[in-house]
Amino acid sequence: MSATANPIEGGQTAVPAPSPRRRKGLSKRNGARASNAASVSIIAFIMLLLFGPLILLAIFSFNSSTIISLPFEAFTTHWYKAALEDPGARSSIEHSVVVALIVAAFCMVLGTMSAIGITRSRFKLRGAAAGLHGATLVVPSLIIGVAAVMFFVQLRIELSLTTLTLMHIVVTFPLVTAIVAAGLVRFEKAPEEAAIDLGASQWQMVRYVMLPQIAPSLAAAGLYAFFESFNSFELSFFTGGYEQTFPVWVYALLKHGDNLPLINAAATFIAAIQVAIVIGGWFLVKKLLHRQSTDTNLSDMILGSR
Amino acid sequence: MSAIAARLRPSRHSARVLGYMTLPVGLLICFFVAPLIVLADKSFRFELIAEKTGFTLDNYTRIFGNHLYVHILLQTIEIATIAMAVELLIAFPLAYILAFKAGKFEIPLLLALVLADELNPMVRIYAWRMLLGKEGLINTTLETLGIINHPINALLFSRFSVILVLVTGSIVFASIPIYASMKAVDRRLFEAARDLGASWFQIFRKILLPLVAPGVFISIALVFIPFFTEFATPGLVGGRSGYMIGNTIAEQISATGEFGGGTAMSLVLLAAAGVFSLIAYSVTRMKSLGTAA
Repeated sequence: MSATANPIEGGQTAVPAPSPRRRKGLSKRNGARASNAASVSIIAFIMLLLFGPLILLAIFSFNSSTIISLPFEAFTTHWYKAALEDPGARSSIEHSVVVALIVAAFCMVLGTMSAIGITRSRFKLRGAAAGLHGATLVVPSLIIGVAAVMFFVQLRIELSLTTLTLMHIVVTFPLVTAIVAAGLVRFEKAPEEAAIDLGASQWQMVRYVMLPQIAPSLAAAGLYAFFESFNSFELSFFTGGYEQTFPVWVYALLKHGDNLPLINAAATFIAAIQVAIVIGGWFLVKKLLHRQSTDTNLSDMILGSR
Repeated sequence: MSAIAARLRPSRHSARVLGYMTLPVGLLICFFVAPLIVLADKSFRFELIAEKTGFTLDNYTRIFGNHLYVHILLQTIEIATIAMAVELLIAFPLAYILAFKAGKFEIPLLLALVLADELNPMVRIYAWRMLLGKEGLINTTLETLGIINHPINALLFSRFSVILVLVTGSIVFASIPIYASMKAVDRRLFEAARDLGASWFQIFRKILLPLVAPGVFISIALVFIPFFTEFATPGLVGGRSGYMIGNTIAEQISATGEFGGGTAMSLVLLAAAGVFSLIAYSVTRMKSLGTAA
């Protein structure tokens, strides 16, 4: 916050007089301009920190030089071809995408189930169940990863993409529960009870009464689940065994000191796809909200998911 | 009919609840609670090579008796705390601008932040490494321009780089809870205070800060705990001076197979995270109750 945000003159001892009032108005306008300039520069600085490195990464992924430095030698898409042909890059990206899709699908179902259970019922252990869901979001993934390794070693289950996917689902679906539950508490129970009283089956009620209402939250939650899995490094590092997801592949390469232009290309490719998915998802959620014609604010949705 | 229905309801109701909750809660118990119990159990047992059975505090005395581990732990606390402080210095103004100044740019900025948050952290770490390295973009550019003669080594594999990458990786996570609590503040309070002659600092200290304190605590809880257990960032941009406890645990578990020390350290971190979350939770509750009254 800038010092010029709220320039107040005088303080308690200020004596009201006609001329200071004009001065106050003037300095207020100047102050507002200064504080706007401060706001803009703060935002610009933060955006530079957030996106600057990634934009440079994208630019240099088209550079023909093997060293990432100026001057920019020549434009090439060679590294993209190399990345696509590299077995490590290809398989790790494929693993990540497939795992994230499976995780998102399972999480949407499991998260909705427990969200309905938690918000639409009054059983004694409800608080405990909600707390259990919350705990998965608080315990750091490094610790869950270590615990999972110990657990699977104990059971003599070999670590693979299967154990990795399972653990991703377990730590991610509570996130969906939180988002969908936040959506469910906004709606009245009456139509659901009416549907049941009028002879709808439980499934019909969920399908035709509940789902249309929670569709926007569920779509947002599915996106979050996808990215949660796709971006997960620590849990994948521990529970994947010898099968690598994209972040684990990058980590392993960099750990051995290879600053390959290959990673530039693969990373830019991934970032571009993620940007496309986020923007696409944004419009999807917006459209679902629009169709529902509720007054739910988009910023509310973002807040609800955090 | 209604009498029968009323009598039927409870059992039907509980059957439904059972139907919805069994699978999710069962999964959490089997693959979240059970592994943590195994972890705790392992940390109190002898290493396999010791060929002894039964419970022991051996693993714990070994960590806390070892100067190296204590040093790494202190270094971790230092790095995480500095990073958290810097994070708040960035997140607070960002949240303030978003909530009160952005106007029509509020939603586009939020979208940009969500986008930044969803980008792969490994890509971000890699991008910073490419910029900061000895032959990285910053050093080579400065050298070409003749500003420096030798590359600045401290840019990468230092405490600075770890803090920079940690901070930039969590800006969104840190600012969103503060932003949310700022959105809930009644702006007329500022005007009233201003009319009564309060200085901007008084407004900040007496009105804004108490009202958004819960958001600040949530943001600390969300960001500080992951900072402590991070190992990708210190592993890739840290070097020796940026080495953190997460790296030790990762190496012990994945490379050396010494489960005893790694599990004991994990459990210490888990306990610390638990205590910290409880404190943050109760402070937040107290604060919000206080402001609600």
